[in-house]
Amino acid sequence: MRNLRSERTGYWFILPWFLGLLLFTIGPMIFSFILSFSNWDIITGVRSIEFVGLDNFINIFKDELFYQSLKVTFIFALVSVPLYQIMSILIAMLLNMRSRGMKFYRLIFFMPSVIPAVAVSMMWIMILNPEYGILNKALGWFGIQGPAWLQDPSYALGALIVMGIWGIGNTIIIYLSGLQGVPEELYEAAQLDGAGITRRFFNITIPMISPTIFFNLIMGIIGGFQYFTQAFVMTNGGPLNSTLFYNLYLYNKAFVSYEMGYASALSWILFAIIMIFTLIVIRSSSMWVYYNGDDDKD
Amino acid sequence: MNTSSFNKQKLTSIVSLLILTAGALVILVPLLWTISTSLKTPGEVFGDNFFPKTWKWENYSRAVTAIPFFTFLKNTLIILIPVLIGTVFSSALCAYGFARFKFKGKKGLFLLLLATMMLPGQVTMIPMFILFKEMGWVDTFMPLIIPSFFGGGAFNIFLIRQFMRGIPKDLDEAAFVDGANRWTIFTKIMLPLSKPPLIAVAIFTFMGVWNDFQGPLIYLNSTDKYTLALGLSMFKGMYNVEWNMLMAATILIMLPAMIVFFVAQKYFIEGISISSAMKG
Repeated sequence: MRNLRSERTGYWFILPWFLGLLLFTIGPMIFSFILSFSNWDIITGVRSIEFVGLDNFINIFKDELFYQSLKVTFIFALVSVPLYQIMSILIAMLLNMRSRGMKFYRLIFFMPSVIPAVAVSMMWIMILNPEYGILNKALGWFGIQGPAWLQDPSYALGALIVMGIWGIGNTIIIYLSGLQGVPEELYEAAQLDGAGITRRFFNITIPMISPTIFFNLIMGIIGGFQYFTQAFVMTNGGPLNSTLFYNLYLYNKAFVSYEMGYASALSWILFAIIMIFTLIVIRSSSMWVYYNGDDDKD
Repeated sequence: MNTSSFNKQKLTSIVSLLILTAGALVILVPLLWTISTSLKTPGEVFGDNFFPKTWKWENYSRAVTAIPFFTFLKNTLIILIPVLIGTVFSSALCAYGFARFKFKGKKGLFLLLLATMMLPGQVTMIPMFILFKEMGWVDTFMPLIIPSFFGGGAFNIFLIRQFMRGIPKDLDEAAFVDGANRWTIFTKIMLPLSKPPLIAVAIFTFMGVWNDFQGPLIYLNSTDKYTLALGLSMFKGMYNVEWNMLMAATILIMLPAMIVFFVAQKYFIEGISISSAMKG
């Protein structure tokens, strides 16, 4: 019987993935690395690749738009990641109650996250329209004169952050499944010991779902650096580059001005930033993430 | 004392339900407003009414002709169908390899597979574009289809592999004793038993292709090759396309995703839970 599992046929089964890894991941990574030290021309193609050393990186660090795109992305991540996490945890806790109609609420909260990003963007262009959008009309009922949102450099990024709240259903569901893994006995024992709602929240709920918080934090940071469709469709980086997300700037360099070498260098800087942040979160996790001994042994 | 704590509990649950209802309204009102805009006359779009006076269903038929909707739909399906087949089949194949065989270097390869999930797509996006450009595949559907046949994505392999490891080994070992080869075991035993994760992968793939924007944006240049997601955004702000029609087209693009979601909600919830259970 040993024969069944210990043979080379396994290689054949994973071959498609392995070829894909070489062709579409490792190969391109090597090529991209070389490209980031080169200039590449759209007309003459690969034959005219010209090695320029560190020029791309030097130019990037002198590029004002690079810093602007970093700023936009960091502000977005620093505001939206904690905001979405806190709102998601609170809503997930409410959705975790045993009450009639919860299934219906869960469906509603999750629904926006299956709507194509382009459709969401089109909807919100309408909603955020200063004159006939429903948001400013609703604000008007309370006597508030709403701003021009996407057309105003000081509100455009904020508008995208607000819009993002609409689609946190994904995160809510992840927290909900985390909450459902918290043993009921813990709450009952704490309640017998006289712990109130706040103490139960900070001493039981938060520690028990800390792995989920950890996962969502990493995903949130990575998500900020990959934010593209909404920014491209709704503002295309404007007004005055106030929504020039890093990924959008990278796209513009690569596919609008065809500076492929420069854009490749940008992509490696993006990779390094994501890695650094992920490592920071992983390294610091031992201080605040509690794993309930659920290791998965091979 | 008992009654007061009972009342307190009741009050908490009423307040909770109120908060949830307010949240649900925040989600539903923009959607309803979009639907209602799609049924208004151009004049009403700029007016103050939430609902249209008469429901202009013809906005929908005008929208699908003003925007070449059916061409975009056809293009989306030309990409979607092969990608579905390629992704489901090749990720199942690789998942079986990782779930049931012991070969040299398996652990290392599996770690490599998990590591690729962390790689941001931007790093490979540019060299892939150059590769496909050199092959003459730019402005064809090939760059959006072919990669799905090579493993179908690390996350999908992981998802199916986790499930396959839970299938009792006695089943395939018994078949092996009866003289079945691994291919037969794969197609006759493992695939039929792995329906739940295969369906989940198919649904995620559908959503991925239906929603994909950056891929078509990079590779498709001519309007008659656009997918729905790309086509919709390109018709924003064109002089002959009014907001009510644009919103009608937006609703039409949402609809299939919503239908799939409502029919297959349990797979969404399970798939997302599994992805978070990986904890990075």
